[in-house]
Amino acid sequence: MPATTSQVRRAAKRLYRWCVVNEKVEEGRARAVVERVLTSRRRGYLSVLGEFKRLLTIDSARHTAKIDSAVPLQIDLQTRIKEGLSRVYGDPIHAQFAQNPDLIGGIRIQISSDVYDGTVKSRLQALAASFGIRST
Amino acid sequence: MNALILLTQNDPGQIQQIATTFGVDWPHLVAQIISFCIVCFLLHRFAYKPVLQVLAQRRELIAQDVVDREKIKAELEKAEAERRRIMLQADAKATKVIEETHAAAARLLEQEMQKAVSVAEQVIAKAREAALLEHDRMLAELKREIGAMVVEATASITRKMLTSDDQRRMAEETIKSLGRAA
Repeated sequence: MPATTSQVRRAAKRLYRWCVVNEKVEEGRARAVVERVLTSRRRGYLSVLGEFKRLLTIDSARHTAKIDSAVPLQIDLQTRIKEGLSRVYGDPIHAQFAQNPDLIGGIRIQISSDVYDGTVKSRLQALAASFGIRST
Repeated sequence: MNALILLTQNDPGQIQQIATTFGVDWPHLVAQIISFCIVCFLLHRFAYKPVLQVLAQRRELIAQDVVDREKIKAELEKAEAERRRIMLQADAKATKVIEETHAAAARLLEQEMQKAVSVAEQVIAKAREAALLEHDRMLAELKREIGAMVVEATASITRKMLTSDDQRRMAEETIKSLGRAA
C-alpha cells in the first residue's frame, strides 16, 4: 500500500476512476471501494480514503447546482433552470433548491466555482461597495 | 679819614695823643688782630668749609631730586600717554568685538529666524495635510454612513415592494443569463 503523498493520490485517483461510469460516479461502486479499503486495513488506508473522499466531493460539486431563491420557485422555473444547467454543463446536474429570505429577491445559482447571481442582495452589496462599505 | 691823614702828615704826635685818649694799646691791638686772623682761619678751615660742603651736597641732592622728579614726571606722562594709547586700543578692540558680536548675533538671529520660519512652514504643511486627511476620512466615513443608510432603506423598501411577479421576472433574468453562458 502507498506511503508517500503522491502514492496516496495515485491510489485514490485509481479508485475514483474505477467508480466513474459514463462520466458519473456510481454510488454502489464508491461504497464497495470504501468497504474494501476499510476491511483491508493496509498501511495508509485512511489517507487513501481521505483523498478518495476529496475527489468525490469535487465530483459532487461539479455535478451539483445549488439554487437559492428569496421565495419558493414555481415548478416551471425549476425545470427551466435544470434545462439551462444541462445545456451549459452537459452532464446531468443534480439541482438543490433552497429558500433564503435574506436574498430579498431573485435567485442565485452556484455550481462548482461558477456563480450566477441575480439577487437583490448582491446588487445591494455592489451598491454598498460603491459607498466603501465592505459587507452589509 | 682824609682829615685824619692830613692830621697825621702834619703832626704824628697828635695821632699818638688821640690814640692814647681813646685807650689804643698798639701791641694789644696787633695781638688781637693776629688772634682774629687765626680764629678766621680756623673757622674757615674747620667750620665754614664742611658746612659749605654739606650745603653743596644738599644743593646737589636737591638738584638731583629735581632732576629725578622731572624724570618721574616725564615717566608719568609717558605712562599716562601709554595708558591712554592702550585704553584707546582696548576701546577700539572692544568696539570691534562688540560690533562683531552684534554682527554674529544678527547672523545667528537671522539663521534662527529662518529655522523658525522653516519649522513653522513644516508644521503648517503637516497640519494642512492632517486636516486634508481628516477631511477625506470624514468624507469617506460620511459616505459609508449614508451608503449604509441608503442600502438599508433600499433593502427594507424593496423587501416590502417586491411582488411575486417581480420575483418571477428576476428569476427569469437569471435563467436568461445562464442561457447566454451556454
